[in-house]
Amino acid sequence: MENIIEVNNIVKVYGNQTAVDGLDFNVIKGEIFGFLGPSGSGKTTMIKILTGQLLPTSGTATVFGEALSQLKKPEVKKRFGVLTDNSGLYDRLSIHENLKLYCQLYDIPFSAIEEVLDSVNLKEEKAKKISALSKGMKQRVVLARTLLHAPDLLFLDEPTSALDPVNTRHIHKGLQALNAKGTTIFLTTHDMEEADSLCDRIAFLDKGKIQLLDTPAKLKKSHSDSTVTIELKNEEIVVLPAGSEGAERLFEFMKTDQVATIHTNEPSLGDIFVQMTGRELA
Amino acid sequence: MNVSIKRMSAIFQKDLKDFSRNLAVSVVIFLPLFIAAIYSRMGVDSLASHYMIFNMTFALTATYVQCCLIAEEKEKNTLRGLMLSPASTADILGGKSLLSFVLTMLIIFFSAVLAEYQPANIAIVALALVLSSFFYIAVGTLLGLWAKSVMESSVIVLPVLGIFSFGSFAVPLAEQYPILKVLVYFPNHQLFEIATKVELGTAIGSMWSHFAIILLWTLVAVALTVIVYRKQTKD
Repeated sequence: MENIIEVNNIVKVYGNQTAVDGLDFNVIKGEIFGFLGPSGSGKTTMIKILTGQLLPTSGTATVFGEALSQLKKPEVKKRFGVLTDNSGLYDRLSIHENLKLYCQLYDIPFSAIEEVLDSVNLKEEKAKKISALSKGMKQRVVLARTLLHAPDLLFLDEPTSALDPVNTRHIHKGLQALNAKGTTIFLTTHDMEEADSLCDRIAFLDKGKIQLLDTPAKLKKSHSDSTVTIELKNEEIVVLPAGSEGAERLFEFMKTDQVATIHTNEPSLGDIFVQMTGRELA
Repeated sequence: MNVSIKRMSAIFQKDLKDFSRNLAVSVVIFLPLFIAAIYSRMGVDSLASHYMIFNMTFALTATYVQCCLIAEEKEKNTLRGLMLSPASTADILGGKSLLSFVLTMLIIFFSAVLAEYQPANIAIVALALVLSSFFYIAVGTLLGLWAKSVMESSVIVLPVLGIFSFGSFAVPLAEQYPILKVLVYFPNHQLFEIATKVELGTAIGSMWSHFAIILLWTLVAVALTVIVYRKQTKD
């Protein structure tokens, strides 16, 4: 498997505060890699380092096999797209005019605008001025701008933080479709459901360090207590322990036809994070 | 250096559309034309008055407008978007300067027409005006990169407006206040010296020092601008 990003012992210190503290990880070509953590955990700092906006204090990293110092080359910049929570738009211009500028900067045909606006559900609004849009719509325009040049690698920093559930779902579908075409996605979020539904692998970041890194399924499995919750037909809820004692009681309930539903008790990613750090994601 | 005319042109077109819809800033460029029209009606036809208008055009259009354009890009985080695109430093700074340059040249041309200024040697004067505009645009870019907001840029540009528009008027006081002798080396005064020598029919060979001083100011301003810009590309 080809690594599209390789990070080796990256440290970033601001004054006397360590934002990222010796991070080591790889992002495999074609995957959606989730970088999860609370605000201030170092997620955005890492995106800035990997996109050449910030120099690390120490450590090395490569993107597409290129060292961080080479990320300013136009041919490298054309291969990645970045969406951050403070990406700006030209308020006095329309959606179409904003995207047209980026078509010219990336040397791509204007026909790409229609396609990308369709993917973020804004095709009908293209003539609207940015100043007339809601925060969520602006977020979708920024996303459209990020997707415009069909990058091989997408850095998305909290891409759905300002969106309602309908548009969030629409964006998730778009990202999954893009990923299916081969785009690698590096996603930061503190939305555990988003990470669970989108990511192939996730890294839990806290206090600048990676605390866990695996697939969502393996993380949940490794933190599961192996209990089973059953709901009886009389609406009573019973939690059965793992092992022969639980199996005997389950057999008993089933034999007497009392079982309405059965669920294995897997922790959510949020539960795992709280278990690991002792604090909630925010 | 990586320069793309296509990318510079894209930024210019965007700026032109954006500027035409930004009345708060765009009305400022008409002030020199207004003053030129008044001077014309009053019959004021001295070289000093023409160059006061030209220097005001430089301060208002080349420096102030440029400063606002850059500061707004910074304030709204759109400059970061440009920096992350394949556009190079030269594409962005060049593209962002084109609108100010075109507007400055147009306003100077129409001011000259309104004020009925006809230089004895238009080529030398045009060269001096173009070179001066590069200096003022570089100063505008530098101040815009330095300012945190458009509001702040409107304030920090005021000394430039004062010194470079009206500074020449203080030169006669240099005998009394020796510190003012420094004003003689300012690009606005050098431009006026060139214009005066042109009217006297002096050969271009004897004007090279004035061009050299303006060029030196321009190179220093451009170098500082590039350094500050490159620092802005990294957090």
